[in-house]
Amino acid sequence: MAEFSWDVRSPIDRALVAGAYGARGDAGVSLTEIRNFDLVQVMARRGKAADVAKAAKARFGIAAPETPKAVGTADATLIWSGPDQFLVLSKDGRHTMDTLAPVFAGSASLSDQSHARALISISGDKARAMLAKLSSIDLHPDVFAVGAAAATSMDHTSVTLWRGPDRADGQAVFNLLAFATFAESLWHTVLDSAAEYGVTIGYSEDL
Amino acid sequence: MRITCPFCGERELGEFTYLGDAKPQRPVADAGEEAVYDYVYLRDNVAGVMAENWYHGGGCRAWLKVTRNTLTHEISSVEPAAGAGAAKVGA
Repeated sequence: MAEFSWDVRSPIDRALVAGAYGARGDAGVSLTEIRNFDLVQVMARRGKAADVAKAAKARFGIAAPETPKAVGTADATLIWSGPDQFLVLSKDGRHTMDTLAPVFAGSASLSDQSHARALISISGDKARAMLAKLSSIDLHPDVFAVGAAAATSMDHTSVTLWRGPDRADGQAVFNLLAFATFAESLWHTVLDSAAEYGVTIGYSEDL
Repeated sequence: MRITCPFCGERELGEFTYLGDAKPQRPVADAGEEAVYDYVYLRDNVAGVMAENWYHGGGCRAWLKVTRNTLTHEISSVEPAAGAGAAKVGA
């Protein structure tokens, strides 16, 4: 029998070229792809939303979001993805299907999305201006504060967008989760939107 | 046109898909051929206020029941359809 070996690669491995892109000078937009994360979708079963909320609180020490929000726990981010459902984003196997299955046994259905999504972190002076070309969500700081999240569409592609903690220099950070097979297309669209502001492109293993 | 999703807030039309009249109810199993024919094929062509099913596929993927005036596009209510969200079943 033939031997198979699976090479784990980022969905935008082919498209991402680290370095500068677009207009020269100080980059207005910074794009960082986050690689090798663990992502599990938790969806409450019929009539079990209260049980899921209780189990999540016990597991994460903080209530899972019930409205479009993203909340940080000690070692994970819980992101609202729809009514009675949320995503658990973490690193290094802290929260995986294996560890979460017993927590939500009987109350929620879990689905491993770790290799099904690409995660792009967007920041910079012109991040909002660039995102405004792709999204109809109001990203003004008064409306879309730290911890705000949205299940929405960009360039006809479903995405999960949320604002993470600000960078050390005070810049806002927008995180974008896109389906793996749509990610390359969306990546090019993001680059096209950002080119006029100048872009710094990189990738990271850290959330 | 914009629809205010009860879960996500106000969103552009492009995130939603129209699924048709929300009024027809599936007849019981022994309702007879006439009732099934009505349910499957016959629709009112409402000029005015109408209950419609919409799907927020480009967002939270919830099914919504939208009350809309087909003449003015004015939307008077948007509710989760039965089954949108495990906690809201039967609502």
